[in-house]
Order: sequence, then structure tokens, then C-alpha cells
Amino acid sequence: MLNKTIVKLAIPLAVGALALTGCGSDSGGDGDAVKIAFQGPLSGDNVALGENMQNGVKLAIDQANAKGDLDFTLEYVPGDDQGLPDKATATAQKIIDDESVLAVVGPAFSGPTNTASPLYAESGLVTVSPSATNPNLTDEANGFTSFLRAVPNDNQQGAGMATYYAKKVQAKKVYLIDDKTDYGVGLATVAEKNLKDAGIEVVKKSVPQKTPDYSATAKDVVNSKVDALIYAGYYQDAAPFAKKLAEAGYKGAAISGDGTNDMKFVELAGDASENWFLTCPCTDATVEAGTKKFAEDYQKAFGRAPGTYSAESYDAANMIIEEIRKAGGDIDRETLRDALKKASYKGLTKTFSFEANGEFKGTDVYLYQVKGGKIGYQGNINELVG
Amino acid sequence: MSLQEFWDYLVLGVMLGSLYAVIAIGYTLVYGVLQLINFAHSEVFMLGAYGSLIVLQLVSPGDNPSVMASIGFVALAMAGSALFGGVTAYGLEKVAYRPLRRRGAPRLIFLITAIGASFFLYNLAGKLFGRDPLPLPEMYENREIFSLFGAGVNITQLLQFATAVVMMVLLDLVVNRTKLGMGIRAVAQDAEVAGLMGVNIDKVVSRTFIIGGVLGGVAGFLFANLNQVSYTMGFIPGITAFAAAVVGGIGNIRGAMFGGVLIGIVETMTVPLLGDEWRSVSAMVVLILVLMFRPMGILGERVGRAA
Repeated sequence: MLNKTIVKLAIPLAVGALALTGCGSDSGGDGDAVKIAFQGPLSGDNVALGENMQNGVKLAIDQANAKGDLDFTLEYVPGDDQGLPDKATATAQKIIDDESVLAVVGPAFSGPTNTASPLYAESGLVTVSPSATNPNLTDEANGFTSFLRAVPNDNQQGAGMATYYAKKVQAKKVYLIDDKTDYGVGLATVAEKNLKDAGIEVVKKSVPQKTPDYSATAKDVVNSKVDALIYAGYYQDAAPFAKKLAEAGYKGAAISGDGTNDMKFVELAGDASENWFLTCPCTDATVEAGTKKFAEDYQKAFGRAPGTYSAESYDAANMIIEEIRKAGGDIDRETLRDALKKASYKGLTKTFSFEANGEFKGTDVYLYQVKGGKIGYQGNINELVG
Repeated sequence: MSLQEFWDYLVLGVMLGSLYAVIAIGYTLVYGVLQLINFAHSEVFMLGAYGSLIVLQLVSPGDNPSVMASIGFVALAMAGSALFGGVTAYGLEKVAYRPLRRRGAPRLIFLITAIGASFFLYNLAGKLFGRDPLPLPEMYENREIFSLFGAGVNITQLLQFATAVVMMVLLDLVVNRTKLGMGIRAVAQDAEVAGLMGVNIDKVVSRTFIIGGVLGGVAGFLFANLNQVSYTMGFIPGITAFAAAVVGGIGNIRGAMFGGVLIGIVETMTVPLLGDEWRSVSAMVVLILVLMFRPMGILGERVGRAA
């Protein structure tokens, strides 16, 4: 009974969705409003990461409009996928259906990128993600022809973690945890390979996101007698885990990636986050000389300091704006996509250019460490290990 | 696994299980009197956690409070969570379930209402309190206070376990020794006849919800103290505790306690034996095994006698 009703409803819905994907595109800017969208978590558990990025995009658009040298007005379109793969398709479809959207900054996370990219590819709408770092996303077999990655992928981050543990910490045995998300598993797989190549013993575990109690996991880490730990996941789970590790008396080194590299991690975990290492393909906008001015503008506009990927999102948005400006605002989605693929744009954080498959050219990963309740910038990992 | 490790995990399992037990009681009590699975109970739990957070933000314990102050903060936070939990559960019964009961709606409608209420409440909480997880302010310096056969126990764990046990003992007394408890048992046995005998059914039902809500709310506080507060925190513990209630025999209070502790131990033991990703799987396997051999749960579904 119930199943029949669902099927009855599902058929027209599916047909409707197909019909919608069929149209769209081919319109381009109509002279006045050109829209740039952002797709990422603007609600849900990872909202802090999404807002950091959204603000970067907004700032770029506001500044471009304020300059007054554009023949068109730029508009911002938010797309909230909550960071969830199953929500991402609907979010992407909504953005695609708005014909004055010419480009998208995002999707922020790897999982949503994976589910949304087929839609974007079909519509020809280009997506420039400053933060989706799962290496598989640029695999040509996927056919994500509209996806450009404006960040070194997890191969670089995972390798960076492994190198740091091998050369600086001189770890013998490492406990490696992924959170079962596309991002976490991707990062952990690369880290595992690099650790093993360096001759380090690895204990690999998967701890799903939202595990209600990390006490037993923390105990297992301590019982495994490891001298270092890698957590490949996001801050809202890294924080309670860090707390439990401290309670269980874990004394070794701990490192996590860009998903944890947010002040929320320190706020949630408190003292337990002290001395945690965090990697990121992103620089610290408030420390690096090139982004000081941006950090001040950001602070003025939003009343807080830029966070993880704020500056990178700002760069990605500016790169898109630059290409649209070159065309005088009169450009269609496909042309813009192809132009961006060939572009070489010098942003505040780094120079953006892409391989044929949309992969970012460049390998720099940066290390941070929590010290005295702040995320302290340590520098480029390749330079740190010498 | 060495004997020592076994002990370590067993202690952790019992701690976690005591929390599941307290939440499970909320499901079982309501099922006892109404034969309704109150799926919105996980939201009562979540709002209880926010209750304690709000109180703690108001009194804002500074760094290194004295022992007396710490006890005060804990008591206040607990009262806040109990209040939020109780009021939420009371409101749920009044707004969502009572109108259905009046109209004699079929069971399925209750179930759908419960799920709807759950969606409404957690989205409302996300809207009101923000969708970012929040830390519960520190009320005391957490440290290991004694060791149980070599397994260290810290203040947070002791607080969690002791509160759970005290609440369960009190509940047992209330249900078995007081007039209200007699009312609850009477309604559970046969609501119609209890009504004819002069039991005010509405009153008993709404008080049952309040008791379950207070327990769920305080469990929310204890849980938040263990982790953090977020608007989606109720879902997984809620489902697990519901499974625990069914394992022990739904409608049976002692069964819920037993089931909660059992599921807590199984989940915790899974971590070193099979790995974290099997936690929920093994809890559900236990549920299925129990239902295969004892469809009424381990201690039996004693509707009729809610205790």
C-alpha cells in the first residue's frame, strides 16, 4: 500500500527532475545581473566551515560591485547543501535552474561534490571548489567536466601528514582513523600509503561520524601503544574525540586535516585540543603578508577574522569575476568554463591554474598547531621538514 | 584482549549503558501507559541538554570554581535540563498526542505524529540555538578520582553513573510505592477500567510524560557533559535507547534499565573486538537475536505492570 503510493509519487517527480535538467544553460548574462553562486554547508553541523567560505565569496562580489568598473552588477546566490551528499543534488539543481548564474564557488565538501558534479557537468555550469580535496573527484572516468579544484588535493595533505610524522615526530606506530565520509576515507587512504612507504606501522580504524561516545575509541588508541595519531574527519567529531583522548591519558602526537582546522574545534574541545597539529592546503590569511589587507576588510565586513578557506574562496570568486569582466559580462556558461580551465590567476593565497582534468597545479600544504587556545600557523610542511 | 583491557571496556560500557538506560525508561514509561512509541523522546533528550547549556551560560562558571561552587553548578545545570525535558514532554503530550487520544485515532497516526513532532522539535532547536555544536561550559576540573579494579574513573563518569542510578532507584520507588505510581500501573494495565475506578487518566498520562521527560532531559545534560550540545544529538542515542527498551521488554521499567546497560556494554566491547564501525550493527544484532528467541524482550513485555 504505502510502497505503491511512494512509487506513484516518485515517477512524476523523477520525470519532472529530468525535464528540468534538460533545459537551463545557454542563456548567459543579460546585461545587468550576473550571478555567482556558492554551494556548501550553510546550516547543519558543519556550518562554520561553510560560512567562512560564503563570506569570502560575498566580500569578493561586494568589492567588485563597489569598484564600479563593471558593465554589469554581480549578485550572490547561496546554495545550502548542509555538507550532505544526498542534499547536494537538489541544491545544485536549484542553482543550475537559475539561468543568470554563470559560475559556482564550491561545492565545499567532497561528498556533495561527488553527487552534484554530474548535474553541473551536464549543464555546463562551472564549479570552482576551494576546498573539496578528495583525490578521486578529478578522475577523468567520473566525467566531472565542469569541476575545477582550486586547492591541492588530499594526496598532498595525506603525504604532508606522513612526512611530518616520519621526519619530525619520528613516529614508529601511528593510529589512523577515518570518519567514513568521502573526505575522511580519501585522506586516510593516502596517509596510510605514505606512512607505510616511510616504514611506519599503521593501525587503521574507521569511526563513523556522530559516534555518540568516543571513550572506547580513545581507550583503544591508548591500548594500541602508538606514538602518534591521525584523525581524518571534521571538527565536530574531532572535538569530543580529543576530549576523550585527553581523559584516557593519551600522550602522543595528534594531527588532523583541514576539516578540523577551525576555531570551533578549539572551542568545543577546550584544553584537550592543545598541541594538536592541523594541516591545510590553505594559508593563514591573518599571518601571510599577501592576505593582511583581505583579513582587515573581512574583519570590517563580518565582524570576525577570516577562517579556514575564506581567503581561498575570495580568490576563487575573484578569479571567476575576472574572467566575466574580460568578456564584459556577456558570456555563456560553457565559454566561461573553458576560459577558467585555461586561466592562470594570481590570487592572494596562491596562483591558480589547472590540469586538463580540473586538478589544481601545485602541492603546497601548510601546518598549524593549537597553542594556548589558538590555532598557530607553523608554515609550509615541505619547508618545515627540510 | 587482556583481562585488564576487558575491565576497562566493561566499566566504560556500564557508564554508557547507564545513560541509555535512563533514556530507554522514557520510551518504556510512555509505551506502558499509552502503548505508543514516542519517537520525539530523543528531542526531549536534546532539549534537556540545551536547558542545561542555557542555565550554565546564565551563571557562567569561571575558571577553577571551588568544590561547593562546582556542585552548585552541576545541580543548577541538572535542574535546567530536568525543567526543559519535563516541559517539552508535557507539551508534546498536550499538543501532539492528547487531541489524537480524544478522537480515538488509530495507532499509526500516533506514530506518524511522533515522528513529525521529532522533526519539528529538532529543526526548531536548530533555528533557535544555531546549528553549530556548542560546548557545555566546564563546571569542574575533570580528573580521575578512583580506580575500579585498575580501570580509572573520572568525575564526569562518576557523575553520569551515580545520577543515572539515583534516578532509576527513585523512579522505581515512585512507580511501586506512591499513589501516582499506582495510577500509572493501573492505567498501564487497563486504561478504561482504571478510569471507571476513579483514576484521572489524563492526569496520570501527562505526569508519566513529565517523569519520562525529566529523566530524558537530565540524560541529555549528562550526555552533553560527555560530548557537546547540538540540535541533532538526540537521534542516535534515541534510536539506541529505543532498541535497549525493546531488548529489555518494552513497557517494563526494569527491562529498560537492563537493556540499556546491556546495549552499552555490547557497543563498547565492539570497539576493540570488531572496530568502531560495527558498534550500531552489533547493538542491532543483539536486538534481533533477542527478538528471535524472546519476542517480548528479555524481561518480558509486562504492560499491565509498568514495573
